Amino acid sequence: MLEINNLECRIDDSDILRGLSLAVSAGEVHAIMGPNGSGKSTLAQVVAGHDDYEVTGGSVEYNGQDLLELLPEERAREGIFLGFQYPVEIPGVNNAYLLKAAVNAKRKHQGLGEVDAFEFLKIAREKMAMLGMDPKFLNRGVNEGFSGGEKKRNEVLQMAMLEPQLAILDETDSGLDIDALKAVADGVNALRSPDRAIILVTHYQRLLDYVQPDFVHVLSEGRIVRSGDKSLALELEDRGYDWLREAAGA
Amino acid sequence: MKHTELAIDDLRSAARSLPDNGLAGAREAAVTHLAEHGLPTRRNEDWKYTDLSAAIDISNRWLRSRTVTPSAGLLDERAVALVGNIDANWLVIVNGVVADRFMQQLTGSGLDVSRLSTETSSLALQRPLADLNVALLQDGLRVRITGDGDKPLGVLFVDQADGDAGVAQSYVELEFAAGSTAEVIEYHVSDGDADHYANSVLTMNIGANCDIKHVRLQNRRIGHVHTSRTSIALGRDSTLTMTGFDLGGGLIRNDVDIDLSETGASVVFDGLYLAGDGQHIDNHTRVDHRVGPATSSQEYRGILNGNCRCVWNGKAVVHEGADGTDASQANHNLLLTEKAEVDAKPELEIYAEDVKCSHGTTIGQLDESSLFYLRTRGLSEQHAKQVLTFAFAADIVTRAPVDAFRDTVSASVESRLAEIVAADITLEIAG
Repeated sequence: MLEINNLECRIDDSDILRGLSLAVSAGEVHAIMGPNGSGKSTLAQVVAGHDDYEVTGGSVEYNGQDLLELLPEERAREGIFLGFQYPVEIPGVNNAYLLKAAVNAKRKHQGLGEVDAFEFLKIAREKMAMLGMDPKFLNRGVNEGFSGGEKKRNEVLQMAMLEPQLAILDETDSGLDIDALKAVADGVNALRSPDRAIILVTHYQRLLDYVQPDFVHVLSEGRIVRSGDKSLALELEDRGYDWLREAAGA
Repeated sequence: MKHTELAIDDLRSAARSLPDNGLAGAREAAVTHLAEHGLPTRRNEDWKYTDLSAAIDISNRWLRSRTVTPSAGLLDERAVALVGNIDANWLVIVNGVVADRFMQQLTGSGLDVSRLSTETSSLALQRPLADLNVALLQDGLRVRITGDGDKPLGVLFVDQADGDAGVAQSYVELEFAAGSTAEVIEYHVSDGDADHYANSVLTMNIGANCDIKHVRLQNRRIGHVHTSRTSIALGRDSTLTMTGFDLGGGLIRNDVDIDLSETGASVVFDGLYLAGDGQHIDNHTRVDHRVGPATSSQEYRGILNGNCRCVWNGKAVVHEGADGTDASQANHNLLLTEKAEVDAKPELEIYAEDVKCSHGTTIGQLDESSLFYLRTRGLSEQHAKQVLTFAFAADIVTRAPVDAFRDTVSASVESRLAEIVAADITLEIAG
């Protein structure tokens, strides 16, 4: 589904990704771990289409098409979802409006009609109940005044409504208490299916207790230095990242 | 730039040809005042961004031709179409003339309405343009709000510009008895292909312990000129909540003066201006804190797209001894093109000791991270820009205080914004 080859990119004249390769197939859950500054969030942003990052080499293919040619909104409509590490607060735009506009943008792209307002509300409320969100959040400004945990739940709600084919969750677990972490994990697990792929970008292995990954990759200085199964996450938890950095540098 | 001079002799003869009513003396005094002081020019600090030449030129042409006022009956129909469905006690001023029909229809309780012309009136002339207003004033309205009415009071100003040029002067005095709770709608509309200049004066004298809400919507034809002067005095422990919208017009200049001479008074006034090609919208506000404690807070927002210019100048003067003053001012502007220009100027003059004053202005474009966030949710760049622009306006729209007028405000803002940003979405984004 996603084929990243030797991806290199930079921002403000500093190289962030330096030859990153990663292949993700439908049905898989990948965890990308690594120390701060290793390029994890950059990878997520580049796949979503942020134009602050300049791709200087390599390629990204998504379902056989050149992903880098697509605008962020085209990527979204093609089924890519990015859960932000720091979701943006947008006062004045209500949550329900954004959810509906997002769902409809995708439906239009698929040649479907607009979602029925009644049906939409029903589904939204169900998903919110699953995530432990008060339905009142539908009528609030997008992320406006939300706590850290509420923002992350809201990201997962958007993901649940959009039913992406490829979901990238950037540190969705950071700053969450145990209840919020479980709710977020439930949301992610509910999305797991043979025709979807999920990439979890995380600093800690805590989330991986609740969402079992098929593959774990360690990112350091802009490339993947080690891949393995979920036991790699546990090993990192024990030994930290330094030994890998040394191994990579050697 | 050469400044156009007002044709004072034409003005004098026009003033003398008006109906000989209680205003005759006031007009004569106004002409004398005007002959002596003239109209403000850009050499005057308060007028440095706004050149009144267009208003003066239209006035001079009108004074020469004195186009006959179109049939009042025809405009009455227009007035009914505009506000017939808005549940309020409406007074209507058509081309500067008080419309009889609406005076007669007034059924509301708690209102005492009279014409300025029925007694000898002397009107204040000190403020710029007030003398021009009085010099050519056919008649004005004095409304005493005596208690808690069952409906808002609405004043509709509707002008029709035909012939060479049209000019309308309007003067409305509102007096709120102590302890009253009232809602006021001020609605300005104009039509017609000819050039037009409207000059309005509104005074609001608010007694003690009042709770007053005021919404103003200026939706004149693009290109028409409007200058307005709103002078407000608040009584002890009174509250005023006021929101103004400037959507139409060509050259627009609003002056709001608020006098806080009694303790415990509180005023919150906000504004939204939308400017497209060829528009010039200037909002000058002044709050005089003469005693404390008292609070004033204002936030004006502007959205500019195209070749246009807006001015916001918010002045707060905290006089000696006005301890306990709390004054805040904010002005935020969204510039959607490089051709648009904003002059934002907060001014604080503080002569008291124990005061809390703050001000903030921003001039910027749409937030890039918000745009990217919306695009990752599948919204096109254009749609995302529109959504953020509407949201910026919606913040002020939701503050508009008079429920009966809320739909009119929303619909007018939506439709003007849609013209400015070429959009087809509604303010429902704000829920």
